[in-house]
This record gives sequence, C-alpha cells and structure tokens, in this order.
Amino acid sequence: MTRARPLITDLLGGLVVTAIGVAGFVESWRMPRFAERHADPFTVPGLTPGLLCAVLTVLGVALILRAMAGRGGAVAIPILEWPAGSAQRMIFTIASVFLYGFVLFGNVPFLIATGAFIFIFTIGAELLNADRELGLLPLGVGALVLAIVAAFAIRFIFVSVFLVRLPG
Amino acid sequence: MDGFFQFLHAVVAIGLSADLFVVVWATLLGIVIGMIPGLTATLGVALVTTLTFTMEQNTAILVLICVYIGAIYGGGRTAILLNIPGTPANAASALDGFPLAKQGRAGEAMAVATTGSFLGSIVGMLGLAIIAPWLAEFALDFTSFEFFWLAVFGIVLCGQLTAMDDPLKGWIAGFFGLLVAMVGQESLHAYARFSYGISDLEGGFGLLPVLVGAFGCAEVFVVMRQEATHLVASKVGNVLGSALSSFRYAKTWLRSGAIGTFMGVVPGVGEDMGAWVSYAAAKRASKNPEEYGKGSTEGLLAAETGNNAAVPGALIPVLTLAIPGSAPAAVLLAAMIIHGLRPGPLIMITQADFFYSVVAMVFWASCAMLVLGLLLTRPLLYVLKVRREWLMGAIFVLCVVGSYAIAGRIFDVWVMIAFGLIGFLMRETGFPVAPMILGVVLGPILDNNLRRSLSISQGDPLQFVSRPISMVIAALVLAIILFSLPPVQRALGLVLSRLPSLSRKNGDA
Repeated sequence: MTRARPLITDLLGGLVVTAIGVAGFVESWRMPRFAERHADPFTVPGLTPGLLCAVLTVLGVALILRAMAGRGGAVAIPILEWPAGSAQRMIFTIASVFLYGFVLFGNVPFLIATGAFIFIFTIGAELLNADRELGLLPLGVGALVLAIVAAFAIRFIFVSVFLVRLPG
Repeated sequence: MDGFFQFLHAVVAIGLSADLFVVVWATLLGIVIGMIPGLTATLGVALVTTLTFTMEQNTAILVLICVYIGAIYGGGRTAILLNIPGTPANAASALDGFPLAKQGRAGEAMAVATTGSFLGSIVGMLGLAIIAPWLAEFALDFTSFEFFWLAVFGIVLCGQLTAMDDPLKGWIAGFFGLLVAMVGQESLHAYARFSYGISDLEGGFGLLPVLVGAFGCAEVFVVMRQEATHLVASKVGNVLGSALSSFRYAKTWLRSGAIGTFMGVVPGVGEDMGAWVSYAAAKRASKNPEEYGKGSTEGLLAAETGNNAAVPGALIPVLTLAIPGSAPAAVLLAAMIIHGLRPGPLIMITQADFFYSVVAMVFWASCAMLVLGLLLTRPLLYVLKVRREWLMGAIFVLCVVGSYAIAGRIFDVWVMIAFGLIGFLMRETGFPVAPMILGVVLGPILDNNLRRSLSISQGDPLQFVSRPISMVIAALVLAIILFSLPPVQRALGLVLSRLPSLSRKNGDA
C-alpha cells in the first residue's frame, strides 16, 4: 500500500468534517436570537452548536492541511483493503440489514419479518463463506429452525416478559 | 466507618436475597456476551438495558453491572483462544494469552486471566468505595464553569487517549459527538435545533439507539467484513492450580489494579486503556521484559487486572459527576437515568444507600465471575464454536428491537442503523468511536453549563479561568492540546535529548 492512499482518505475525511462544520455554523447562525423576548444574548440556541461547528471546521481544515503536507497516516486505514470475500459479505450484510431495518420491521408482522430476515441472512452468509461445511439441505433446514426459534424467542422475551409492544 | 457498615449491610442484603440468583445469571450472560467476537460490553449493557425496563431499580442496575463486569472478563477468553479480543478491552490480553495457548497452556492462561480479573475488580471496588465519596464531596463546590471545563476536558482527553497516534481524529470524533447531541430541543428556550420541522428530530437522537448503532450494528458490519476465526485450543487443563499462582505477582496486580482504576476514572477512556497502560507499566517494571509478547503470565495478569479494575473506576465519575468513565459506563449512566436514579455530586447526600449498594454489586459480580470463570472453563468453550453466520442475524434483530423498545419509535431504528454505518466508517477510516459517544453524552452538560456560565459572567472569558478548580482543569486541557502538537513534541524531544549533555557539562564545570 502506498503512503499516498491513507493521506487521500484523510483528505476526504477532512473535507467531510469541514463541510459539516461550515454547514452547521451557517445553520447555527440562522437560529433565532429571541430578541423580542428580551432573551439574554449569551443563552441563544445557536451559540453552543455554532462554537462546536467552528471548532469542527478548524479541526477539519487541520486534517486537510496535514494530508496535503504529506503528514499523518499513522493510524491503520482498513477501508483501503477490500479482499473479494470481504466486499461480497459487506454488500450482502448492508443490503439485508437495510431490508429488515427500513422495509420489513414495522411494515410486516414481526414474526414473519424477523424469521424471514434471519433465514435469508444465515443462508446468504453461509453461501458466501468459503469454509462452509454444511450441504444445502442441512443448511436450509438449520437456518429455518434458527429463524423460527429466534423469532419466537425474541418476541416472547420482549412482549411477554418485558411487556414491550412490537410493531406489525 | 459508617460507609463500611453500609457496604457490609448492602453485601449481606444481596447475599441473603433472590438477587444472588440474578448475580449468577447476569454475570454468566455477560461472560458469554464478552466471549462472542463482535459482542462488546457496551453492546451487551445496551441490549440488556432494554430488557430491564420493567425491573425494580436496584435489580436492574445489579443486572447491568454484572453483565458489564462479566463481558469485560469474558472477552479475555476469546483473546486467549482465538487471538481476537472479545471486547476492545481485551486486546492487550491477546499479546501474551494467545502465545500461552499456542504453547498448550490455555488452561493456565484462562486461570491467570480469571484471577487477574477478580483481583482487578476488587482493587477497583476499593477505589470506588474510597474515591467516590471524596470526589462527590469535592464536586459539591463545582459550578457551571467547572462542569463546562470538565466536559471539554473529557472530550479532549478521551480524543487524545483513544487515538494516541492521531489525536486530531480523536478530537474530531469527540466534537462530532457533541454536535450530534445538539440536535433536538434545547433546555433554555425549548428551541428545536437542526430539526427542520421533522417531529422525530425535535426529540433529538436517543442515547441508546446511537450507542447500540455505533457499537452493536457497527460490530455486525465489522465482524462480517473480517475473515472467519478458528479456535487454537479446544482442550484445557490445570485451571484451578494455575489460578492460585497469580497471587505470587502481588506487585503486578496491585499496580495494575491501581492504574486500571485511575484509567477508568478518566472520562471516556475506560477498560482498553486500563489494560494497555497496566501492561506497559508491568513490562517496564518486570525483571523479564523480553518474555512479554511471547507468553508471559505476568503480562497477561497485568492486562486482565487493568481492564477489570477500570470497570469500578469508570463508575466513579458516573456516580459522582454523572460523566461516564467509559463507553459501557455511558450506557449504564443512561440506564440509571431511565430507572429514575439521579447520579451526580449529591449522590452521597440523597442516595448514599444506593451508592453502597453499587459497591456491593461490584463485589458480588466479581465473586460470581471468579467462581463461574474457574468452574465453567470447559463448557464455556462451546460459545466460541458458534459460527458468526448463525449469530449475527439474531444480534442485528436484537439491536433493532432493543432500539425500538425504548420509546416505541421506528425512527430510533433508523437512527441505530445510521449510526451503525457511521461507526463502521469511522473505524474503517481510523477515527475512534468512543469520543463520539462521550460527546453525545456530554453534549447537554457542555451546552447548558456553557450558556449558564456566559450568562452569569455576561460574556467575560476571564471568569472561566479565575476560579481555582476551573483554572486547573483549563490548564490541563491546554496542556493536553499543546503537548499533542507535533512542533511542541519535537521541541520537547530536542530538549530532553540535550538534558544529559547539559547535566554532564554542569558536572564538569
């Protein structure tokens, strides 16, 4: 890995931090001062976030300048290394997690949503696993049993024991 | 002496009640959580918090403390047998624990880790019992100026210590966390900041969904991204015999216990730094430093003592200042508030019984950890054989349901997933996550006390540094920042390297 790659990551990170800082500062400045209520100017809502955003901007600019000067990169940057298996697992994990968290949970009955997610996740993760020991049939049966048991167990613990009302 | 009797009373009260059963199952649950790679103590405490809503106050806190102590200890097993720390606090344990396991001494390593963790917890518990009442009394003199500086000090120090090689990223993470805490209705004018008319945002981001996301959901991503792990040893022996041998290193565990406790007290730093600093100090003081990293039982003992001593240490600022000493302690603080407890400087006046109950809880959790750790060494090995592909789906469901259960808002699930992605990206790009979480916790404290102080002083900055305590904390903040700057470090290095020659010249003269 060349030294330039971590520095590019730092440069991009610095840009994001600076952008957040500047945008936050502008928004803080636009917050009301409540002069009509004769509010103490030192208690206005935008004061603390404005100061924090100013500090964040300074730190972001410092990160950018450090990266441009070719310094830094002392900390390991794992995002630069993506072996094929790792990338496939990540794409699958993010896709399935989003499917459950944003689509299924709350819109589909809990038992069905949770059972389907755990079944799909287990099967998918095992199929992407290079060291898979189980054949397709035992894997499918095992994942199905896990999905049913986990969905019912989680529902029982939260709904019956801890009296939480779950959606769907 | 009153305190001692109150502590004894609390110990007996737990020992003679059904709570003793709670101690056993909660500590065992914590050990199992800590052992599973990807399940951290923070995630464990956060998830279990959602299960304690309907419990009685003291029982709920007892469960959480047992899970916390058990998880920090359980992670050591994974470090020894898989060379992967079960929790970040056990990273230093892998340095000597794994080589010991490879030499066929896994049982000895686990016994040493168990005794070390127990001794660390007990030293930390003594620190908690002695330091906390003193600190609470001292903190009664704190005004908004001191609390403001304490919040800044926590962020700056946590950012520095969790990213020793790159404090700039630690500070960015800390200030980002503070900014996250600004979202939602502020307390002085009831104005909803950064909300844009979205009612969910007006309530702000809940601490628990943020925590579960940044540590739990992010952990699911991290574990699935990594390659699979394999057990180095599935047979162990000589456990009980080796446990007693740890007592030989009295200096090591006393020193590590004291260091761990101190690192726990420092806001946001916590167990992993407790282990690393204890390990480094033990190596420096050892007669055989060359054995460290190659299977030194003393090194393993130092690391495990240090991380478990940090747990009671982290409770000291939680109870006396309402400022967390570590990430799991931040969840514990949130759980205490959810359960109607009010930690802070007044705790020794208004809730002294509760304080000594917490000390007794640490005592019982430590005892349970010792007994379970030594007796269940072989059965607990099966936990490490569970494949991540079969576990992570259910873990993610627990993260989702746990986040939802707090307020019954789907929005909290979205926040949890968003912070899971943010936490994952931060780790991947070298930003530490702990300062961000500390920032989210300290944000309201910093905001309220900054504006209150400015209002009192009518904007006079001198009043922020004219009171003795605030002056000392401000000087510490300045010193941390200054000594982190590369030009200052270079200049300091130059001066230090010239010191011997200067003293020689003076001697010659």
